[in-house]
Amino acid sequence: MEQVNNAESTVTAIEKVEEVKTESPKPAKKKMSKKRKKELIFVAILLAYPVIQFLLTWIFVNSYSIILAFENVSLEGKVTFAGLKNFIDIFKQFDINYGGGIDLGNGTRLSYNLMIVINSFAYGIITIFISLPLALICSYFLSKKMPLANVFRVIFFLPNIISVVALVYAFKMQTVDSSAGLIYHFLSALGMKVNIDTWPNTTLIVLVYCIWAGLGYNVLLLSGAIGRIPNELFESAQMDGASSFKQFTKIMIPMVWPTVVTLVVLGLTSILTLYLQPVLFDLNNNETIAGTIFNGVSGSGSKTMYPYYAAFGLLFSFVLAPAILYIRKVISRKYSDTDC
Amino acid sequence: MENTMTKQKKRNKKPILSIGVWIAFVIFALYSISLLFPFIWMLLNSFRGVEEWQHITTFDQYWSLPTNWDFSNYAKILKTDINGDNLLSMILNSLILTILGTVVNVFFSACAAYAVAKYDFPGKKILYGLAIFAMVVPIVGTLPAQVKFMEFLHLNDTYIGVLFLYSGAFGFNFILLHSAFESISWNYAEAAQMDGAGHFQIFFKVMIPMCKGPIISCCILQAITLWNDYSTPFLFLQSHKTLAVGLQSIQNELKLTGNYPLVFAAIIISIVPVIVLYSLFQKKIIENTVAGGLKG
Repeated sequence: MEQVNNAESTVTAIEKVEEVKTESPKPAKKKMSKKRKKELIFVAILLAYPVIQFLLTWIFVNSYSIILAFENVSLEGKVTFAGLKNFIDIFKQFDINYGGGIDLGNGTRLSYNLMIVINSFAYGIITIFISLPLALICSYFLSKKMPLANVFRVIFFLPNIISVVALVYAFKMQTVDSSAGLIYHFLSALGMKVNIDTWPNTTLIVLVYCIWAGLGYNVLLLSGAIGRIPNELFESAQMDGASSFKQFTKIMIPMVWPTVVTLVVLGLTSILTLYLQPVLFDLNNNETIAGTIFNGVSGSGSKTMYPYYAAFGLLFSFVLAPAILYIRKVISRKYSDTDC
Repeated sequence: MENTMTKQKKRNKKPILSIGVWIAFVIFALYSISLLFPFIWMLLNSFRGVEEWQHITTFDQYWSLPTNWDFSNYAKILKTDINGDNLLSMILNSLILTILGTVVNVFFSACAAYAVAKYDFPGKKILYGLAIFAMVVPIVGTLPAQVKFMEFLHLNDTYIGVLFLYSGAFGFNFILLHSAFESISWNYAEAAQMDGAGHFQIFFKVMIPMCKGPIISCCILQAITLWNDYSTPFLFLQSHKTLAVGLQSIQNELKLTGNYPLVFAAIIISIVPVIVLYSLFQKKIIENTVAGGLKG
């Protein structure tokens, strides 16, 4: 029996389907009827629930979401066709004069939807331009012989298995939420106090949290990829007198590029999908695109606003999803001749 | 001669590299401490009497050992009423949903993965393509539609509804089990067929036992994911709080009374099962999550 390859990536999995096709039992055409029928019935039984569940929760819900974006729901629950009204409302919320926007403290105002977009992009940008380079450097060093490297690996992984609720709470206790935490004492010793009531500080706190909680996972993912680079490459480069920096930029980066692409795409995707951390931090004006929708449907949200949030999601997915797929295509082309 | 030259070069390089490594070591150590320390701090303070907690103010006091170790905080928080729920019922809800949710998810993932990996049928490629597409393309904002859909089916605020959402078979587990089933030779099935085994017997008696390793990995990871899941039970099971959802309301409620040690006890209780699983299956968990890439 072949050992199962856990690191199987999505792409190779797609390619493999074709191999299986020829491998799987293919009875002769004329004889097949009875045997083949039994086979198909078996497959149908196995797939019945998964396919129905998928059709309902993915195909149907997504299609319905698109329809909902063009609907209007009255307080009594009456549904009418709204045309582009929901989308126009979204654009109106980009105008300061319309919704009032948020107060930035010093008299300047920022429209609500613009703030949401800035917040969302901020999370994506810090993932790509701060967390990722930081993780690359860290994992480069972790791949060198370092004492306690395995202990670090075990600890770095902790944020992935502890619930975000507990992790956010732990972070809040040490930083903004109480006078008991370490950072609070540290700052007050320096005579400083963080203002956690106004934007953009509220968003910055969550950004710091995201870097803190996400770093370990990125490092693990990257050091896994670095571990697969043949050691001879580094050795021969060292023989030729390549500096550590050269080894880092000329060997490591190209060799782990596919993983870097994955992490960049993840960062870009988080612009659209990140919601839990800001929601749990529960600070003023730190909402993201997905967070706004989440808050909109949870408890306090009015049902009449559902079409607006459906349109909100649709609009941003429509603009950003193709952009993300395009960027992915462009950046994967770099170093595409190295296969690892 | 040349040999000694390269050796010298190496020796010259070494200190530079190791200084870098040592700087990295210090940074890693600090980062590790920053991850562990908030939880150690909470553990320490979860044994502090509420009275004592409310009267301490300085940094040293927060880090001192409790004057009298109060283990009753753990017993108290289990029974403290939080908007009609207590921690004990939350734990029970979490357990039910985690166990059943893991079973339905991994079972249906295995069914779908096996059918796609080992059988040929019309529409197979489309199905596989769609499953991958659904995983890769970020679609946001379907929540309103999902909420309405669940209400329409009368599945909102029911255990069945949450389990229905958990039972999606075309996720990461599907990919993992698909490649696992694929790597098993069909010869085993043919041998079983000779002995008169039907398709179901081959699946349950031959293939599933041979895929035990990957299936167990999927179960462990799925269980951790579901135990920690916040949004699904928060949106679709409002009247029965799970632990992850309950922790958030415990924080908000007890903050008002300044009962922090009880909150810490609740947090510690919530992470203990995960830590136990992690220490038992640490290697497997890291391997599979790293392979999974974009889960969660």
